Amino acid sequence: MNSLFVDPKGQLDDIIIENEGTSPLLFAFFEDACDRDIRIRVKGNASVKIALADFSRGNGETRVSIDLDEPGASAEFHAAVLSSGDDRKTVLANCFHHAHHTDGLIENYGIAEGNSRLSFLGKSDISKGAYGSKTRQSAKIIVFDEHCVAQASPILCIDENDVQASHAAVVGKLNEEHIYYLLSRGLSLADARRLISLGYLKPIESFFEGETRNRIEEAIERGI
Amino acid sequence: MSELIIRDLRVSVKGTEILKGVNLTIHSGETVALLGPNGHGKSTLLGALMGNPNYTITEGKAYLDGRDLFAMSVDERSKAGLFLAMQYPSEIPGVNSADFLKAAMNARREKPMSLFQFYSSLKNAYADMGIPFEMSNRNLNEGFSGGEKKRNEILQMKLLDPKFAMLDEIDSGLDVDAINVVSKAINEEQEKGRGFLVVSHYARLYDLIRPTRVAIMINGRIQLEGDPSIITRIDREGYEWLKREHGIKIEKDNAPMNDVSIGVCATREAVGKE
Repeated sequence: MNSLFVDPKGQLDDIIIENEGTSPLLFAFFEDACDRDIRIRVKGNASVKIALADFSRGNGETRVSIDLDEPGASAEFHAAVLSSGDDRKTVLANCFHHAHHTDGLIENYGIAEGNSRLSFLGKSDISKGAYGSKTRQSAKIIVFDEHCVAQASPILCIDENDVQASHAAVVGKLNEEHIYYLLSRGLSLADARRLISLGYLKPIESFFEGETRNRIEEAIERGI
Repeated sequence: MSELIIRDLRVSVKGTEILKGVNLTIHSGETVALLGPNGHGKSTLLGALMGNPNYTITEGKAYLDGRDLFAMSVDERSKAGLFLAMQYPSEIPGVNSADFLKAAMNARREKPMSLFQFYSSLKNAYADMGIPFEMSNRNLNEGFSGGEKKRNEILQMKLLDPKFAMLDEIDSGLDVDAINVVSKAINEEQEKGRGFLVVSHYARLYDLIRPTRVAIMINGRIQLEGDPSIITRIDREGYEWLKREHGIKIEKDNAPMNDVSIGVCATREAVGKE
C-alpha cells in the first residue's frame, strides 16, 4: 500500500491499519486547496503515525477521522498548515476511541498570514467502555498579520471515567518579547519571523523523504 | 576608539517616569560598573539603549560613535556594535540555537560565513563557555537553567563581537565555577579593548572583571561617578552613606517588604501598577 498521498482530492477510500509499526501515512498538499475526507480505522494493537503538510492555496476543509476500533489501537496525527493571501482553510481532525486502552494524539501547528483564515477544529471522543484510554488534542496557530483570522478549538468528549485526556489551544500574535530578543542580536524582523515560523512548520519535514520533503522545504521557504 | 554617549535621557514605562535625566559617557577599553538600589532604573537604562519596546524615550539622546541610537531600529543598534546580555533571556520555542546564532552572525556580514567557518567558531565558543556542544541543537534558552541562560548570553557576546556590551546582572544564578567562566570571557573581550557597562549587586563579579569606573544610579539619575573603591564601600555599607556624605536622598528606599521582592526592578514595579 502506498502510504504517501500528494494532493489527493475529495473523499479517499478508508484506510485500515491492522499491524503495529505500519509505515507512516503521509499527506502533502501543495496545489489548489479543496475539501478532502480522510478516514483511518485502526484495529487491535495496531499503531500508526499520520503526518499532514498543507501548503495548498485557496479554500478547503480537510476532514480527518481516526477511529480507534479495537483494544490497544493507537494513532498519532501531526499537521503543519500555512495559510496566506485570501486562503480559507480548516483542518477538522477527530479521534474516536471506541475500545479500551486506545491511545490518540492530535497535534496541529499553523501559521496564518495576509488576509487568510485558518481554523483547527477537532474532537477527541472517548466512548463508554473505552477505559484505560489516553487522548490529547492540541492546536497552535501564530497569527502574522492584522487582517488574518485564526481559530483553534480542540474539544474533548469523554464518556468514561478511567481515562487520561488533555487539550491545548494557542492562538497568538508573534510574542513581542521573543521578537525583541532576536532583533537585539541583529536579526531583521523578517529573519526573526522566519525563524519563529520555521519552529512551527519545520518539524513536519522529518516525517517525509525524498522529493516530497524537498517540496515541503521549498514551500516553507517560499511561504515565510 | 568608540564612544557611547548618553545625554539627559528620560524614559517612561507605561506612564511612570523611571529615568529622569541620565548622563553617562563610555569609551572603548572602559568597564563601567553601574550600581544602585533595586528599582532605581539600572535595567531600564540598558533596555532603553538596546530598544526594548516596553520603554518610551521621552527626552534625551544617545549616540554610538556619533550615530543617533534612538533613530535606529533594535537590529541596527546590534549591528552597529551594541550588545545587551539580558537579565531574563527569553525562551524561544521552536527556534534552534545554532540556526539563530548563524542568522545573528551573518546579519553583520556582507557575505554569509561558510558552514565550516561557522561550526568551528561555534564549537570553540561552546567549549570556552563550558556548554556542551549538543546544546546548540536545542531550542533557544528553552528549558535552560538560569546559569545556562547566562552562559548562553556571554556565548552570544563572544560570537557577535560588539563594541559595547551591556551586562544586566549576568552573575545572578551562576555558581562559583560559572562566574569564573563568564568573567574569563569578559576579561578576553576587555583585552580586545571593548567597552562594558555592567550591572551587578555583587563585589565578587567586580573583583574578577575589575571595572575602570563606577557610576551610581539613584532616583533615575547617575548621582555619583568615581573610582572602583566605591564598590568595596557599597558592598560593606550599602547606600546609606551617600545620603550622609553627598546629600543624596534615596526615594522609595523604605518601600514595604511586600512591594519589593527579590529580583524586582523598576519596570516590573511600574507594570504591576496598572
